[in-house]
Amino acid sequence: MAEVKITDLRKSFGDTQILKGIELKVADGEFVSLVGPSGCGKSTLLRIIAGLEQESAGSISIGTEPVSGIRAADRNLSMVFQSYALYPHLTVAENIAVPLRMRQMTRWQRLPLAGGLMPGAKRREQEIAAAVAQAAETLEIGALLDRKPGELSGGQRQRVALGRALVRAPAAFLLDEPLSNLDAKLRVHTRTEIAELHRELGATFIYVTHDQVEAMTMSDRIAVMMGGEILQCAPPQKVYADPDDLRVAEFIGSPKINVLPAEADAMGRLSVLGRDLPIAVRPGRQTLQIGLRPETLHLARGDAKIVGRVVHLEHLGSELFAQVAVEGLQGRLVLRAAPAQAAALQIGSEAGLDFDPASALVFDAAGMRVREILTAPAKSLAQAV
Amino acid sequence: MVAVDMPPQTRRRAARSPQTMAWLLSAPALALMLLILLVPMLSALVLSFTDYSLGATELNWVGLDNYEKLFTRSSYEKMLWATLTYVLVVVPMSVGLGLGAALLINSLGRGREIYKTIYFLPVMATLLAMAIVWELMLHPTIGMVNRTLEMGCGTWIESLWPWLADGCANGMPIWLGDKDYALWVVCFIGIWQGFGFNMVLYLAGLTGIPRDLYNAAEMDGARSAWERFRLVTWPALGPTTVFVVTITCIRAFQVFDTVEALFPRGGGPSKSAYMMMFAIYEKGIKQNLIGVGAAITMLFLLFVMIITVIQRRLTERKVHYS
Ligand SMILES: Nc1ncnc2c1ncn2[C@@H]1O[C@H](COP(=O)(O)OP(=O)(O)OP(=O)(O)O)[C@@H](O)[C@H]1O
Ligand SMILES: [Mg+2]
Repeated sequence: MAEVKITDLRKSFGDTQILKGIELKVADGEFVSLVGPSGCGKSTLLRIIAGLEQESAGSISIGTEPVSGIRAADRNLSMVFQSYALYPHLTVAENIAVPLRMRQMTRWQRLPLAGGLMPGAKRREQEIAAAVAQAAETLEIGALLDRKPGELSGGQRQRVALGRALVRAPAAFLLDEPLSNLDAKLRVHTRTEIAELHRELGATFIYVTHDQVEAMTMSDRIAVMMGGEILQCAPPQKVYADPDDLRVAEFIGSPKINVLPAEADAMGRLSVLGRDLPIAVRPGRQTLQIGLRPETLHLARGDAKIVGRVVHLEHLGSELFAQVAVEGLQGRLVLRAAPAQAAALQIGSEAGLDFDPASALVFDAAGMRVREILTAPAKSLAQAV
Repeated sequence: MVAVDMPPQTRRRAARSPQTMAWLLSAPALALMLLILLVPMLSALVLSFTDYSLGATELNWVGLDNYEKLFTRSSYEKMLWATLTYVLVVVPMSVGLGLGAALLINSLGRGREIYKTIYFLPVMATLLAMAIVWELMLHPTIGMVNRTLEMGCGTWIESLWPWLADGCANGMPIWLGDKDYALWVVCFIGIWQGFGFNMVLYLAGLTGIPRDLYNAAEMDGARSAWERFRLVTWPALGPTTVFVVTITCIRAFQVFDTVEALFPRGGGPSKSAYMMMFAIYEKGIKQNLIGVGAAITMLFLLFVMIITVIQRRLTERKVHYS
C-alpha cells in the first residue's frame, strides 16, 4: 500500500501532445477515479503510471520512491486491463497464480516437471494454491477454477482478471475500464463489489472509466480529465455540486446540466434571457453562462422566469424529465419533475419555469467557474446611484 | 399450432423432404469427392496387390508381394531411412528457424518487409532453377562452398575445427557425389527452401497475439524475453504450430524435385537420398512397375493419414482456447 504522486506529467506521441501537465496525488488507501470522454488520455496516464509507457516529461513516485526508469515489473503494481488479458491457455486457477509464481518462485522452481523437485518448490506451490483459493473465495469464483478463460462469461472473466490482480498485495491497483464489457445489470452489481473490496482491502485504487455513474458511486475522489488535463479532482458530491469548470459540470450529471447565456451589467447584476436575477458578480459588463441542474428547475407557481414549450417527456417511473424548448435558446432545457406533476406537463403545452437563483452555477465566457456571487443590489438603489 | 391443422400427407412430405433435399444438394459434392479422391485411392489400393504395368494386357493378383518387397529389399529400406531422416531433420529445423526468423522480424521496427521478402524468396523460386545454382555452389572444385572452405586452410580455424583440417589434408567433400553427404545436402536445401514459408505463417500468427497479454505478463512480473515467450507467445502460437508442423511434415514426405534435379542418376550416390516420392515416380512411371509404385503410394498415404489424424486431434482438443 502506498500513495501515488504524479507531478507535471507530459506525454506526446510524435507531435501530438496527449497529456499536458498532469498533477495528481492519490493518498494511501484512496480510491480515485479518472473519468473523461473517450480519447482524453486516461489509459495513457494509467499505462504511464504502470510503467508500460514512457513519459515524455514529469515524474511519478509510488510510496516515497520516484519510479522513473523503473520497469513495470518492478513497480509492484497490479493492473486490470480493459480486455482482461487473461492467458487463454491457462485455467482460471493458473491465471490467478501467475503473478505469484513469477514473483515468488525461482526460474528453476517454475520448470514444468523438474521444478517440483527443487528445494522449497512444494511448499511454495502450496502457499500459492492457498492464496489463489482465498482470492477465488473473495470473488466467488471458486467453482470456476478449473475452467479456461474461453469457457467463461464476460462477468466471470472480469472477476478472474480482478482475482489475478488481488492475489498479490501490491502498492496500488490500477484498473482500466474493467466494467465496460459487462451488461448494465452486472455492471451495477460488480461496481458495488469493487467498492466493497476496496473498503475491505484498504488499498490504493486508481480506476479509469468513461462512465460518470461508476466514478460517482465508487470513488473517494474523482479526477475529471479532458483534453489531456485534469480539470478538477474532488469528492463526487463536490464535483457535482461545485464544479470548477463548465466542461466538468457538463460531463458530470445525467441528464446534462442546462446552460443558459447570461449578461452582467456594469454593476455586475445578472440577467438571463432578459430577466433580471437577484444575484451579481464583480462589477463590469460581460457575458457569462449559468448552469442549472435539471433538479433545480421547477414549474413556476406564479411569475415564471423562463417560458417555453414542452417538446419531449421521459417518464422514468420515479421521476420525469421534460425537455422544454425556449425561444432564443439553441438547446432545450431539461427539467426534472415529480411524476405527480405529469398532468401539468403535456407535449406541446406551454410551461413556465422557475429556479432558485442561489443554485445557479455561474461560469465566465471561457467556462471557468465564477465563485464570487453577491446578492444583487436592489434595482431602485442602483438607479439612484 | 399450424402443424395440427395440416392434412397428414402434407405433414409427411414436410418431414421427409428436408432430408431428401439435403442428399440432393450434397450429391454433386459427394460425387466429385468419390470420383476424384476415393476412386483413385481405392484403385491404387487394388493395384498395389497386383503386378499391373501400363499397357500390359493382363494383370495378376500377387497378394502382399509388393508390400513384402517394400519391407525386405535393401533399396526400399534405404528409401524409408532417407525419407524419415529427411522428415525428422527438415521438420524441426525449418519450423524452428521459421519461428526464430518470425520472432526476430517481428521485433524489428524498420526493414521488416525487406527481410520478409528475402526469406520468402526461396519459397517462391522454383527448385528446378535453384538446383542449378546449388549444383554450381557445391561443385567439388570450382564451387563456392569448397572455395570458401579452402580459404580457411592454413589458418587458426583449421586447428579449432578438425573436420576442416581433414578436408584440407585429404580434399574437400564432393557433396552431391558422396553418399555420406548427399542426404544432408538435400536436407539442407529442404530447410533453406521451407523455412521462409513457415516464417510467413508464424508472422501471421504473431500479429494475432493481443498486445495486452504482453503488458499483463510484464505486470505479473515476467521480466525476461524468455519468460514472456513461455507465458504468452508460445501458447498463443499453438494453433499455428500444429498447422505449420503438419504442413511441413506433409511437404517433407513429398520431397521430390530436389532429388530429381540434383541427382541425374536417380536417388543420389548409392541411393542415399532415395525419397519416397521419387521412388513412386521411378517405379511407377519410369519403370512402369505400377503395382510396386502403388504399394509405396499406399505407404505414403498412411504416413500422411497419421499426421493428419494427429493434427485433427490436437486442434480439436488442446491448442484452441476460445
Ligand atoms: N501508441 C500511440 N501512438 C499514438 N497515439 C496514441 C497512442 N496511444 C494512444 N494514442 C492517442 O492518445 C489519445 C489518448 O488515448 P487513450 O487511450 O489514453 O484514451 P482514453 O482516454 O483511454 O480513451 P478511451 O476511453 O476510449 O479508452 C488518443 O487520441 C489516442 O489516439
Ligand atoms: Mg482507454
